[in-house]
Amino acid sequence: MAEVLLEVENLTVSFPTDEGLVQAVRGMNFTLEPGRVLGIAGESGSGKSVTSLAIMGLLPGNARIGGSVRFRGRELIGLSDNQMAPIRGGKIAVIFQDPMSSLNPVYTVGWQVAEMISEHQDVSKDEAWKRAVELLELVGIPRAAERAKAYPHEFSGGMQQRVVIATAMANDPDVIIADEPTTALDVTVQAQVLEALKTAQARTNAALVFITHDLGVMAGIADEIMVMYAGKPVEFAATEELFYNPRMPYTVGLLASLPRLDTDSSEPLRPIPGSPPSLIDLPSGCPFRPRCPLSRERCEIEEPPLRRIGRDRHLAACHFAEELEERGAEIFAPIADDAEVISS
Amino acid sequence: MAGNGKVLLEVDNLVKHYPVYSGKLIRHKTGVVHAVCGVSFELSESETLGIVGESGCGKTTLGRTVLQLVNATSGSVRFEGEELTNKKGAPLRRLRQELQVVFQDPYASLDPRMPVGDIVAEPLIVHGRWNRSSGPRRVRELFRLVGLNPEHTNRYPHEFSGGQRQRVGIARALALSPKILVLDEPVSALDVSIQAGVVNLLEALQDDLGLSFLFIAHDLSVIRHISDRVAVMYLGKIVEIGTRGQVYEAPSHPYTQALLSAAPVPDPKRERARRRIVLEGDVPNPTDPPSGCRFRTRCWKAQQICADEEPALIDRGQGHPSACHFAEAAEVV
Repeated sequence: MAEVLLEVENLTVSFPTDEGLVQAVRGMNFTLEPGRVLGIAGESGSGKSVTSLAIMGLLPGNARIGGSVRFRGRELIGLSDNQMAPIRGGKIAVIFQDPMSSLNPVYTVGWQVAEMISEHQDVSKDEAWKRAVELLELVGIPRAAERAKAYPHEFSGGMQQRVVIATAMANDPDVIIADEPTTALDVTVQAQVLEALKTAQARTNAALVFITHDLGVMAGIADEIMVMYAGKPVEFAATEELFYNPRMPYTVGLLASLPRLDTDSSEPLRPIPGSPPSLIDLPSGCPFRPRCPLSRERCEIEEPPLRRIGRDRHLAACHFAEELEERGAEIFAPIADDAEVISS
Repeated sequence: MAGNGKVLLEVDNLVKHYPVYSGKLIRHKTGVVHAVCGVSFELSESETLGIVGESGCGKTTLGRTVLQLVNATSGSVRFEGEELTNKKGAPLRRLRQELQVVFQDPYASLDPRMPVGDIVAEPLIVHGRWNRSSGPRRVRELFRLVGLNPEHTNRYPHEFSGGQRQRVGIARALALSPKILVLDEPVSALDVSIQAGVVNLLEALQDDLGLSFLFIAHDLSVIRHISDRVAVMYLGKIVEIGTRGQVYEAPSHPYTQALLSAAPVPDPKRERARRRIVLEGDVPNPTDPPSGCRFRTRCWKAQQICADEEPALIDRGQGHPSACHFAEAAEVV
């Protein structure tokens, strides 16, 4: 068993609002080992981003956080900002979707990467600048020595995201959390940035948590994938196992609803009927039940735990996961007027 | 679903330039953004033409210029032989009933203070086709057509999910029984599980009503799924156009090849076995496009001729038009 870097155990996050308690994360569990890529997939509101913010201690003050996040055995939940500071950007780095939310518009990019280095390491200013230029070169910024003196607005979105990746790897982190790092980018730029990210990870041998809703990107980068729905992991498996043998109806539905680039088919897609539940007013039992073609009485009474099913290390939160072996995508009908359930 | 051959819309050498001004006291024109530069295509009855390209390639401006929501700088747009670009007032309004639009953002394109029934009825009222007895019936019929509950006409947009709002937008676009829908990124704002239902709905509507779609999107998978023919745009120009099979299975323009090779596929074994064409650099500034071929600054095939001579969009032996001096089919998906 390899060394465990990060252990997330029964993490819960909720936000009190005027309408009620929003249960954004309802029990997240995973462990990270060096050099591995854990993909976290799910649609809007599934709790992917809140999980990453909770790990970094970046949630707003009104968030109620439960459970445990341990980094090399040390509990992170409840640490003050001062106690978190050496870890954030040092041993755990984060890359967000919008690079301009991470970069300061009034400093040059080289200054920002160098600052990251001198903040966490005892090096001279010149040394920090030299390393910053090396890092910018490593993530594929042409003429890095010269471009380091430019300001963020002089860069395109893809180049800005590379600068963020350079800052993320500046202190040889153990864990890099990338939250939809390529979602705002065009596909050709996305391909470049993913290359830069893979380089960063290979260089630092960090564990990478890659959060995305894009299953195509996920297929290319993740070693293992966790699928989230309504604040909970509902399936976990090695990447190929998850794509070729999904055992949670939600995962099956997600894959069946994707139009494909690589096949010429005029067959109608198979959408998942309905919409995700309100996180304030979750349905009883399984949260996917109202949309699930397999649902029956038991699903209404009992929320299925994430349990081990047949194969090695494959977990699924469905009472009837075994039935999917035979039926797969067929459980969803190729329909257009999917009689959506109006919430409220 | 493929078109039956009767051409409905002809776009010929369409150009849209936006002037750039600067100067604080005295504003003067300092340049021109070449948003759409000489685009030509035809759209047949019951056909879907997909327009695909990355941000800034001019696909949205193209859609808006076709619809006469912005005035063309030059060129021609003909609907059933009638020129649209020189029309104003009543004659334009009459033709507009035949070309309707669905926008990307179902949150921004619906008035939050109007009940959705009124939103769908508005085109009928604007065009003088509202009738007190048949009007409400038509609205309910449109709701049913797009898979919404006709009892919900008095609800407000915020009471609906993203997918349902987009259905309201589609119902509004269908109110005047148009022949053509211009769909500008109609499913990009939706989660995949919801997106699939809207895509299926559009396909079903096309089959039932014989609509033609100009489907603008950046998502190459959605475009492949829904289109009969596909046009790929780069920096204001169509670089390649053909049937879906031609463009996806035998792309011959280097940009199309790079674009398709960069788009990920949700299949781990295939995805990891693919060869990526990773482009260098960024899209050039549209106020100062490169001479000759606009893609040459990022193209691995570029030679002197590419800077000197703009490659025409013609068939170069691949069976479909490609704007590259060195067009050559390749399999990249």
